[in-house]
Amino acid sequence: MRKIKGGYLGLAVFFCVFAALPFVLGEYHINIILMMLIWMIVAVSYRLLATTGEISLGHVVTMGIGGYTSALLARHLGFSFWVTAPLGGLVAAVFAAATAYPLFRMKGFYFVLGSFALGEAVRLSWKRWIVPFGGDRGLLYIPSPSLGSFTFDTILPYYFLTLGIAAACLAVMYLIDQSRIGKALVAIHSQDLLCESLGINVLGYKTLAYITASFFAGIAGALMAHYMGMVSPSQFSLTFMLYVVVWVIVGGLNTFWGPIVGVIILYLIQEVLRIHLIEYMPLFYGIVLIAVVFALPGGLESLPRRIADWRRARKQTGLLNIR
Amino acid sequence: MELALQAAVNGGLLGVFFALMAIGFTLIFGVMGVANLAHGELYMIGAYVVWLTYTQGIMPFPLAVIVGVAVVIGIGLAIERGLFRPMRGNPMMGLIASIGMIFILQVFVATTWHVGLMKHIPPYIRGSLEVFGASASLQRLMVIPVAASLLGGLWFFLRRVRQGRALRAVAQDPEVASLQGVSIDRTALIAMAIAAGLAGTAGGLMAPIMRVDPYMGHSAIITALMVTIVGGMGNIEGALLASFIYGFLISFVTTYVDGLMATIAGVLLMFVVLVVRPRGLLGRA
Amino acid sequence: MNKKMLRAIIPISLVVALAVGVPLLSGCLPAPPPEAPPEAPPEAPPEAPPEAPPEAPPEAPKVVTAKIGFNAPLSGPVAGWGLPGLYGVEIWAEHFNAAGGITLTDGTQVLVEIVPYDNEYSAEKALAGARKLVLVDKVVMVQHMGGDEAMACTPFYTEQQMLSTTLVAGDITPETPYHLAPIEIWNFYGVTGFEWLAENRPELKTVALTAQTDVLGHQFMAAGEAAAKAAGIEVVYRKLYDAEAVDFTPVMSDLIAAGADCIAFYAYPGISTLMMVAAYDLGYEGLIHQITFDLLPDVIEKTSVEFMEGHISLYPDFDDPALNPSLNPYATIEPIDFWNEYNAKYPGTWTAVSWEYQAIMDVWKQGVILADSIEPMKVYEALKAAPTMYNTFGEGTWWGKPLWGMDNALVGKWPVVEVKDGKNGIVGWVSLLDWWERNGETMIAECEEYGVMWYQFMGLTREEAIVQYPEAFK
Repeated sequence: MRKIKGGYLGLAVFFCVFAALPFVLGEYHINIILMMLIWMIVAVSYRLLATTGEISLGHVVTMGIGGYTSALLARHLGFSFWVTAPLGGLVAAVFAAATAYPLFRMKGFYFVLGSFALGEAVRLSWKRWIVPFGGDRGLLYIPSPSLGSFTFDTILPYYFLTLGIAAACLAVMYLIDQSRIGKALVAIHSQDLLCESLGINVLGYKTLAYITASFFAGIAGALMAHYMGMVSPSQFSLTFMLYVVVWVIVGGLNTFWGPIVGVIILYLIQEVLRIHLIEYMPLFYGIVLIAVVFALPGGLESLPRRIADWRRARKQTGLLNIR
Repeated sequence: MELALQAAVNGGLLGVFFALMAIGFTLIFGVMGVANLAHGELYMIGAYVVWLTYTQGIMPFPLAVIVGVAVVIGIGLAIERGLFRPMRGNPMMGLIASIGMIFILQVFVATTWHVGLMKHIPPYIRGSLEVFGASASLQRLMVIPVAASLLGGLWFFLRRVRQGRALRAVAQDPEVASLQGVSIDRTALIAMAIAAGLAGTAGGLMAPIMRVDPYMGHSAIITALMVTIVGGMGNIEGALLASFIYGFLISFVTTYVDGLMATIAGVLLMFVVLVVRPRGLLGRA
Repeated sequence: MNKKMLRAIIPISLVVALAVGVPLLSGCLPAPPPEAPPEAPPEAPPEAPPEAPPEAPPEAPKVVTAKIGFNAPLSGPVAGWGLPGLYGVEIWAEHFNAAGGITLTDGTQVLVEIVPYDNEYSAEKALAGARKLVLVDKVVMVQHMGGDEAMACTPFYTEQQMLSTTLVAGDITPETPYHLAPIEIWNFYGVTGFEWLAENRPELKTVALTAQTDVLGHQFMAAGEAAAKAAGIEVVYRKLYDAEAVDFTPVMSDLIAAGADCIAFYAYPGISTLMMVAAYDLGYEGLIHQITFDLLPDVIEKTSVEFMEGHISLYPDFDDPALNPSLNPYATIEPIDFWNEYNAKYPGTWTAVSWEYQAIMDVWKQGVILADSIEPMKVYEALKAAPTMYNTFGEGTWWGKPLWGMDNALVGKWPVVEVKDGKNGIVGWVSLLDWWERNGETMIAECEEYGVMWYQFMGLTREEAIVQYPEAFK
């Protein structure tokens, strides 16, 4: 019981800090942490599926599905953001539900490729069909959310909007993670045959994880679309998908906080590089990836545990804890 | 009718190019069990070496291509030795490490040779050939005899030469092969050398007719993935067959519909194969 | 160390890291002051208003560096329409600063610094760059190439009251009041080629058109179809090609197979070269009309002087006698001097844009002189209110409502260029407003057909636009 409380307290403190930050930062930096929050939703939702052992390369496209849906509904039907954004998440979830069966027939590495193929087919459709998706240019002049007479079209209100939505999404995902469902997902990762024999519906859980992850990614996509005022196919390319993969791997897949750690640290570094050494941004990601693969397969979140293990191993002469 | 013939000719040439990329990629997968996503970057470096040496007039085109191939093989061997060998047995980590290599190689090339404008490489052979109303530039046709001899050599190597047979043994069953005394590490190096050589040749030969920029590997690797999946991962004959299937598919759809639809069709074909028959056309179950 | 404490430590250390790290990091960056209100235009501190405080030292000449943002593709397939422009604009800045810049009436000396940002022709990168340039670098104007990358940034510039320029007049909508197209007015000027062909090559009755599938391509097709129609030339082929294709020879063979009297196509600079080479290899002997023959010497090297003879484009070489001496009284460098210096410093990179961005700087210069200030909104007002406006091709008028909803494009006459003996030479001029008077309706119809009218970008039909933006139709 105390474990759960600790986590929720952590979440609350975490969001208090994020709520306080805009008051000490300039506009440029508020924009950075705003986008960071959006990507955090994407990364944490990615983990939801990744814990079952399925590494998808179509997750960022799902984000795009949410973005495009929300944009189209807002522009063409004039619905308000409060309707279009959840609908964006819903459409993304429906897409996941529809494609879960063929996707999960693919094992391991084939799933990686299949998810990429599906995502790319969707993304290329956005490019190909200028009506209604706008082709390469995408959709512009996406309206900002409004509440009564107040419009969220300057950065501070939109930041708090994003913070609120991100807080809600992360809280829900934390709940899932701590619940029986979350435990089942982790179990499936390591022992899916054992789970099957115990009567756990592996496919059902994976589908649930995939649908839920897609829903949240769709919400993040809608948030981004209404913030930037535009949505285009290049925002959801393989490069961004790979960045998400890097964040999650570097942060670590094993705990809820892993992807969050990954996003915060790497996104911040990325933005600092953007100012000074923008050409080296991908190089940085490449080196980080290789370093993590070799030195820290559990990601940054495993660092405390590994330091503890290392210290324990030092105390015991003779018996070394080899990872 | 002429249009169809031209599309067929283009498709055939495209197929040859795809074959050079895909066969190498599938060879690495078959022997080392790892998907080398940085394979497109090897192709890209081949093109860049040719740009460096041939455009600046340092050496004639055939020599430039050979040097390009040599450089790419060197880099490939380094990747195998430094990245894939330590990850042997853990293909997911190997794949992720290869993603890291993509970024590293792209940025290295981009920052060293100032991305800027597309690089220009004058064609080595000028003029074109016309057959029954369909035409193809000689520079593109040149790829055929080179690719044919390389692939022919590869076939011979795999069937008749001891090392080649060892390669096939490792691809089929690494444990049994090593019990028979085959060195997995050495076989892996040979496989990588062959694959990198093929990719480097593709890059060098095709450089004068394609865009040369640090990101040209992106479409190459996607094509390699699509072709190897459809042909069967690890299966060379499958990759060859699928290369031509894809070549004709892309060419005909581009001619009769448009280029984007062709890419969508290609990607969807890969997806369908993955759902319905993941082992591909000629892959073993 | 028990597990429970470990679990709590992670979020808490995260929070601490954030609380310490983010302010620290913002300290490393050239951060703007925390309370800078987002709508205030970036002030250039020494800019003295007429009511200058009497303590301002009268002898010490104040020097202010006007930073000009250059947010364009400097790498990637479209780099040919960004990077050479950066080269050109840097040459301009050198000359401008060497001549002492501009001195305002209060004695402030204005020098220029170019701040480039590579947006790789990608919308979200351009927007990130826009933020950096405006909020961190505090520029007083941002130059864009235009098109997909710029349209993402214009709402931000409007919000920030930042002056921005583009080569693609198609960016302009009633929602982008501060976005100007001072020299190139893509896609409108694309009609001049066919106008000239109708008059001078009446034997050409059919044309095959193609362009890449992005919006620039659609804009080309719209202008091409309208111009061909106006000139009485029939369009017999109009398929678009994918710019990310692996091989462009099939595109060219398809185009030639249509059997038209001439072909007109549009392509990014490097791809254009590949397609020209393909045309040569396929033995094409007809007329080729392109908007620009980028990297012409390179194309000739890969094809031949005979192959390139007689082809028509719209972009002159700057040593052309028709452009010298400069038609713009505000020109900082004479075109022929610019041509020589550019080709000496950056051989083999001359494309359509090499001279355009620096031409825009001369327009900005006129604005600064007229406004007596470098403050973006003041320069903007001065430019729009100027009695006579000039750019490289001479006098121009602020026009544009019929196509773009706002009169933010400087429109005058545009040259038609023929390749003779391996060199571009101006062979005629077309007055754009005259053409418009005769054929404007056709242009609007074709633009709507291709989905590139300003209201279509905003997701509106023409009727809805008339209701929402009545000013744009006056």
